[in-house]
Amino acid sequence: MGIFDRSSEGYESPPIEITVERGAVAFFAETIGETNPIHSDVDAARAAGHPDVMAPATYPVVLDMAAAKAGARKGIAPLLERINADMRVLLHGTETYDYHGPIFAGETVEIISRVKGFTDAKGGALEIAHLEMEVRHPDRGTLSVARRDLIHRLGGGK
Amino acid sequence: MTPQTAQVGDTLPPVTFGPITRTTLALYAGASGDHNPIHIDTDFAAKAGLDDVFAHGMLSMAQLGRLATDWAGIDRLRGLSSRFTAITPVGATVTCEGRIAERLEKEGEPLLRVVLTATIDDGTQTLRGEALISAA
Repeated sequence: MGIFDRSSEGYESPPIEITVERGAVAFFAETIGETNPIHSDVDAARAAGHPDVMAPATYPVVLDMAAAKAGARKGIAPLLERINADMRVLLHGTETYDYHGPIFAGETVEIISRVKGFTDAKGGALEIAHLEMEVRHPDRGTLSVARRDLIHRLGGGK
Repeated sequence: MTPQTAQVGDTLPPVTFGPITRTTLALYAGASGDHNPIHIDTDFAAKAGLDDVFAHGMLSMAQLGRLATDWAGIDRLRGLSSRFTAITPVGATVTCEGRIAERLEKEGEPLLRVVLTATIDDGTQTLRGEALISAA
């Protein structure tokens, strides 16, 4: 039997507000080796016509983590807890982003997380959780949608 | 070569990142908010039956993102996806490469489908993904 709590299928979180922080965007950009200064230097971003530093391509994952923590402070269990993820045997299978608009520092966005469903693979040796995270701006609408497969290595099955 | 002139089979300028140290992983954990101990705590990794911690897959996917946006500009990026096919050990250097696989059109916009790979020093492919880039 699997470890994921399959009764969480269909769950959608309430929108959780996250303010995109300039320093956090710059720290992330520098950590991943990003060299384009529009992601780390506000003057360079403004010179390129942007209101503030722009989030790099994989930044939605950071907003997702921030939303999980902000939600937990309000008593909203994070997705990883809801699906009963076991970090000892958890693997990241896939990650997919659809981009609909840029994300800038200084903006407050809403993060909505969803449990889309679960599947089994390799004769039950693996179980997969299918998750979705949406970044929504109050005026500009959906900015990005992330889809993520998380895998439990169950070791059984064979 | 620009997104407007790129042909199927053309390759993008590669991006390398690393070697990935334990410090890199600690910084990525802090910067990303992904505090999963399997990437930063050797004691936890040992209890999980692993020899060592391993790098966040998303750290390598960030390099696929750099590859795509260094070449095309982030304004042109419509989609980015990755499958994590092998773990990336501490000490690895990641090399990311991209090749134009297809020209297509979606909702009236010309797009390039770019196949992306991340490979570590010993030749193991760790990520395989795609970028969708506007060719308008």
